[in-house]
Amino acid sequence: MPERDEAELPDLNPVIHGKLRLALLSLLTTVEVADFTWLRTRTGSTDGNLGAQLAKLEEAGYVSVEKKFVQRKPQTLYRMTDEGRKALEEYVQALKQLLGTSLATGL
Amino acid sequence: MQEGMSSQELKERLTLIETMIAEGRRRTESWGWIFVLWGFAYFVAIGLATGGRELSVWGNRHEGAWPITMLVACVLTLIIGIRKGKGQPVTTVSRAVLAAWISAGVSMFFLCPALAAEGRLDQHTFVALVAAMLGMANGASGIILRWKSQFACAVIWWITSVAACFGSIAQLTVVFLAAIFLCQIVFGFYTMVLEARRRRHTGVVHA
Repeated sequence: MPERDEAELPDLNPVIHGKLRLALLSLLTTVEVADFTWLRTRTGSTDGNLGAQLAKLEEAGYVSVEKKFVQRKPQTLYRMTDEGRKALEEYVQALKQLLGTSLATGL
Repeated sequence: MQEGMSSQELKERLTLIETMIAEGRRRTESWGWIFVLWGFAYFVAIGLATGGRELSVWGNRHEGAWPITMLVACVLTLIIGIRKGKGQPVTTVSRAVLAAWISAGVSMFFLCPALAAEGRLDQHTFVALVAAMLGMANGASGIILRWKSQFACAVIWWITSVAACFGSIAQLTVVFLAAIFLCQIVFGFYTMVLEARRRRHTGVVHA
């Protein structure tokens, strides 16, 4: 069996790799749009941490943000972009490929 | 990035993705109360319109009973729905189900008063029309959600719609009342029980 070259292994996208950011993108694949409170409830994270991680995803172009007022209360809505969906798909593929390699090499 | 990551860590990432997708798909909306509310609204409208003295969908008493009760039910649905729906995410499925119900509701709210204004709305036509519309909305929703119980309600409404074309007014009223009881009250409470169970099983996933 030929040895795998390290260079052949895919890189895991560092923006998505963070646990909370990965969880947020996974959640956003299931909905068209979600508000901050729903994401906070589902992930069990704090406001500060959630806001910071969502800002990083927005900066990378993986989520789009819409701010509006509902019954005079501010509401922040998050939507996954096509770029974000593509990035997550690539991340999952890379993860599976790495997992296959690590299982084969017994790591 | 992958350097130093064990297969255990990689597996954890995959599990996290799967868990969060399952969590996102978990439906936490509550719709059962709407069926119950409208079920009681139909009963109240029939009761007020007939004074409970005759077996018919409406009688000579309180001509405004049906339109007023329907308007009140509509306003209550909007107010409670907006409050309950606050913070719920928008999904393609929820939008499709909502579209079916809103379309059926709007059709009934324009057609029934227009027919009534022209004196072309008799009790048989009214029940046939309402039952057909409710059958359509329940059927569409049942197919989208792959929910056999709701599709069974659609079948009951379709049968009611066809049955409404035949028989006396008393028979028509019995069929209509039975359909309301089964497809609105019983189905509504059943849905509420399912929703309460689902909410109890919802656990926060700490990512």
